Amino acid sequence: MSSKIPIEELLRWRVAKAETDAPPAPRAARLLEMARPWWEIWPERFQSFVERLGGIQVAYGHAMAEPGQSRTGHPVPTLIVCPVEELETSVRVLYINVRDGRLRLRFQLDAGAAQDHESFEVTFVSDKPERPLLSAAAILSLESEYCIDTELCEELAHGWEQLKVTDRMPFRLILRSDKDVG
Amino acid sequence: MRFVWFWTFWHWSKESYRSGSLLRSPLHGIGSHWDEWFRHEASENDRQAIEESGRTEPTQRQFIAWLFRHWAREMDWRENRMVPRFVIGQLAHLPPFSQWPAFEKYRTSYGVVGIPALVLAEKSLGEPEDVRAVEAMALPADSAGQAVMPEGFRAEAAEFDAPRLAAKSLLCGKGLLIFLALWITGGRRPYARWLSIALFLGWGAVLGLILFLLAGPEPGNQLFLFSAVLVALWSGLMLAAAVVVARQSFRAWRTGAELSARLEHSQVRLRMNGGLTLKGGSAGLPFCLNTLLALYYARPEAARRSWIWHRFFRKMRSEAESWAGTGVITGDGYLTPVVIEPKLRACLKHDRIRQILTPRQRDASKQTVDHLAETLTVAVEREAKSSHLGMQLGFAAEKPRLRAHGCRHVAHTMMALGGFADKWQMASRVFALVVSAIMLMALADLRSIVLPHPAPIAVAPGSSSPYYLWVSLDTKHPKYFSVVLESDYWSNRRADVKPCGGVTPSVRAEIHLHRLTGMTAANEEDGVVWIERRRRFLTREFHPGERVGRYSIPYLSRLGHE
Repeated sequence: MSSKIPIEELLRWRVAKAETDAPPAPRAARLLEMARPWWEIWPERFQSFVERLGGIQVAYGHAMAEPGQSRTGHPVPTLIVCPVEELETSVRVLYINVRDGRLRLRFQLDAGAAQDHESFEVTFVSDKPERPLLSAAAILSLESEYCIDTELCEELAHGWEQLKVTDRMPFRLILRSDKDVG
Repeated sequence: MRFVWFWTFWHWSKESYRSGSLLRSPLHGIGSHWDEWFRHEASENDRQAIEESGRTEPTQRQFIAWLFRHWAREMDWRENRMVPRFVIGQLAHLPPFSQWPAFEKYRTSYGVVGIPALVLAEKSLGEPEDVRAVEAMALPADSAGQAVMPEGFRAEAAEFDAPRLAAKSLLCGKGLLIFLALWITGGRRPYARWLSIALFLGWGAVLGLILFLLAGPEPGNQLFLFSAVLVALWSGLMLAAAVVVARQSFRAWRTGAELSARLEHSQVRLRMNGGLTLKGGSAGLPFCLNTLLALYYARPEAARRSWIWHRFFRKMRSEAESWAGTGVITGDGYLTPVVIEPKLRACLKHDRIRQILTPRQRDASKQTVDHLAETLTVAVEREAKSSHLGMQLGFAAEKPRLRAHGCRHVAHTMMALGGFADKWQMASRVFALVVSAIMLMALADLRSIVLPHPAPIAVAPGSSSPYYLWVSLDTKHPKYFSVVLESDYWSNRRADVKPCGGVTPSVRAEIHLHRLTGMTAANEEDGVVWIERRRRFLTREFHPGERVGRYSIPYLSRLGHE
């Protein structure tokens, strides 16, 4: 008996085996559930985060000797949510660009706050009224520096097009670590 | 034009900064800006050109050379030599440069040496790894950033304030004044060897002349010559020393002020690899010293005008790797004690460190260092014996050497690092000081010889007693005059002029009149009173000098009584 099996047959066998072993496809309701943003799934949790976020007071006391010399930008109040702890901090926006309906943003975390996080899921929360605006992935770029590249809805794109990095940002951030998201 | 893609990136960075899209300046944020540009903005042509530039190691090196030679010179900060190193160091971690072998050496170092800091790892008892290399770089100031930026480690921004203030104080403030005082009293001077010897011989000659005048033969008419030579020689030496001190101090101050202004407008980046989070301020001293060194690296020409700064920086740069420093530093430059024993042990185990700068504290003494070195040697031998049982070992290893410099102030560390302290110089300075002290004591005597005081004239009051002859003189320098009575009737007398009190105070010589025995044709008004100069040098009285006045006895007797 010949032990030679054509490669096509082998591949078909492998695909059939994979299909048999694979978990069943989720139902449509489950898919819809999964597509929902996290703040809709856990509204109470989101509300508690927003309340904590609202309590973060970040402001500079300007006591400059020479006006116009500083270009420090405005810190953005931020809540970092990890599985074991929640950390109130602020980030410094280093780059913001809204073009063709896309937002490109870079921010810097406090060196201490950014430990070992390769990425975050970032939720933008508007100042007043406090509501979620969008959610996007932020990836570690350089040391404690993260970048975001995401699409914006037309309303936000229009509103943020003129934003400068030195302006007060019209949002606060909730950073959820990849472990927390999982 | 070569490397157009880099200009394209640079232009994008500048424009984005100008339009408010970027927070940090194109220079300070270059790493982040490149990452953004390369990911999202670079065109296909740019990417191809970049790939072309990085195809081989020689082409990568060409790009590095171009950054140093062309790009950096066209920037506003062309005077700062460290800018291209910083740019390459920042880009080296980012794609595609992170894959370019030519950037390898720039990934962990800016290629500058600094004074290592002694930072103990947790629970360390002193290991060679605790001697941590520190690199410092001064860049143009960043309006969006801190004045001092840590790289490769974490520390509170406030931790850098004191080292920075101390550096400023040493450049142009109280710290520099303390250093100048130390340098003036015992510091090495910018003399050539032959000049040092000549000056020492000069001081020897001054001492020789002093001894000759004090104990040599009577110089007679040569006294003026010897005195003039002595004064001229001493004045010349003093003048030369004063001019050198004043000139160097002024130049040090001016250069320090210039460097201080440069520091004010700089951002200092301190790099210490290892990702440590610093607890405690014992790295303050090396941070301060490396901040100073960073200013030199940025523009070495600035220090060339001052011998003091040039020597300090040159020595520090060339010998930095054999030094280590530890000490909490205050804003005005004083050093306060730290945990020292594990740090000494770390230095002793390190194969390069030969000198350590510490605060002045008891447990950093020479005895402690020697004891630790002895303990280490014994431990090493014991370990070697236990690991080579039954083998006859011959120990030819040198005992670890380490010299601890206990310093109260950062100015003392400058003395040590710059090699300004010198025992030979100190000895010659003490010698010159002693000689000068003698000269100062003898200066009035020498002056009366070289530039004689005006001849005095006799004035009232005269003596009211017939047994005394008073010769009152209108001089403020009585000790340089004497009075001589020459008479055939009275016995000849010599009297010193001195200030006298009483009812009629004056500067006078009082001559007790004593009639000569035997027959004489002369009467009591016969006789002449001479005023003579006295020549003296400290404890020695020379033969009398010239006679500068002649008075008759009747004139002097009646002076003030008519």
